Amino acid sequence: MPRYVMVIDQSRCVACMACVVACKRENDVPAEHYRTRVVEMVRGEFPRLRSEMRSELCNHCDNPPCVNICPTGASHKQADGTVQINRRKCVGCKACITACPYDVRYINEEHGYADKCSFCQHRLKEGKEPACVATCIGRSRMFGDLDDPNSEVSQILRETSWRTLKPEVGTKPNVYYINQFPRKS
Amino acid sequence: MELNIVGTNAITYPAMHVWDWRVAIYLFLGGLSGGLMTMSAINYLRPNRTPESTCSWQIPVLAPILLTIGLFFLNLDLERKLNAFWFYLTFKPVSPMSWGAWIVLIIYPLMILYALASLPKDVKGKITTPAIRNAADTLQPYLLPLAKANVIAGIILAIYTGVLLSTLVARPLWNSAILPVLFLTSGMSAGAAVMIIVAQSKEVKLFFTKVDIWLIITEVVVLLLFFYGHYTGDAAHRQAIMPFFSGSHEFFPYFLSIVALGVCLPLAIVLKFLEVTGEHTEELTTSGLLLMNASAVLVLIGGAVIRFAIVYAGQLSGYGGYM
Repeated sequence: MPRYVMVIDQSRCVACMACVVACKRENDVPAEHYRTRVVEMVRGEFPRLRSEMRSELCNHCDNPPCVNICPTGASHKQADGTVQINRRKCVGCKACITACPYDVRYINEEHGYADKCSFCQHRLKEGKEPACVATCIGRSRMFGDLDDPNSEVSQILRETSWRTLKPEVGTKPNVYYINQFPRKS
Repeated sequence: MELNIVGTNAITYPAMHVWDWRVAIYLFLGGLSGGLMTMSAINYLRPNRTPESTCSWQIPVLAPILLTIGLFFLNLDLERKLNAFWFYLTFKPVSPMSWGAWIVLIIYPLMILYALASLPKDVKGKITTPAIRNAADTLQPYLLPLAKANVIAGIILAIYTGVLLSTLVARPLWNSAILPVLFLTSGMSAGAAVMIIVAQSKEVKLFFTKVDIWLIITEVVVLLLFFYGHYTGDAAHRQAIMPFFSGSHEFFPYFLSIVALGVCLPLAIVLKFLEVTGEHTEELTTSGLLLMNASAVLVLIGGAVIRFAIVYAGQLSGYGGYM
């Protein structure tokens, strides 16, 4: 069984938002909601500015608070490492939304269930990458099986310095961010 | 710093607003009905109880009614109300919400059995449904074990409302082991306050006034420890209590809630202290009754303010935001 992870190289992100659009299109996400977002930050004072582009999505944590709090088992962890939602079982109590430290869940207002990124589970079953990865023009988003030592993500995580978001919460995320080092002058 | 985010959801950005007044009301009424269960059972079980001070039958009847109203509001908050049966097709030991659903299912019959068992003869005579009257007659001999069970069940119900929030590690304001104790003392104190308002006998009113003094003092100490624990915690926990103390325009309602608690709870203690130390005639005077009820209402206001403030402010707290 694979263990899916996503690796994000922020230095390759151009903030084109193609991932945001591809995700909405692929997963039929309602107009007012998003499963992934791009955070653009500019720090410092002109002319000494530094910008950071960071894609954020469900971290498919190994210790997922959303799964732990879910009273019906609708939110669950699968053997492939992904966190999925069984819509049939969801009562719309919204506990998972408050439990998520990354604020990546929302309520599908038309149907009432909680929703979020699924790593495009339907595409994985067809052997395809998630839509955001497939569409990323800068190859900022990479996806693969961490249990396969020859996969691109395994090699990158072996060879580079990386971090996860909000490690202090103890969720053990499966979305990794390659650290950017300041360029030597 | 300039921040621009594409792809935010209104439910979580710029601040989370997932649970609202419906959940706050449920937490308040759940705690209150737990307090009522425990307090009415304590009144029945206390050794120096006189026949006149037998527990007002209205209290055990009121407890399940208040819990039902609370659950009605909780149900209003569910996005898929017809799917609620899934709560009872699953038991997840790590989910406090799953525990809550099952606890309510166990506590409800216990409350109703106790309410039926405690009905006095004259009230039972007025019941037109024979099945209910017969059930009340059958349960009467079991009033003592039912009262003992209600003491424990009331504590579990009142403490559970705090446990639910305290396990949410993503919300630092809620993520405190002191929160369940705060909700427990607040629920018990509110239960004692309602006992004071509803009870007919002067002796019961004065007994629960004394009980409430200790409960409010405990509540204030626990509240101070709650804030102290956050203040001495990590940056996210310290930041989480700032809405209460910043005094800024943005967080004014939270500042106001602290002012309200700072007025209500100490004032209630002072009024109650005056009541128990003052001389009382055979029957309570109108002004004495008014003062007693006023201090009880202050306690109830304090309990409601705590629930509303914690529910709303907790959603403003988090780890790091988008920085």
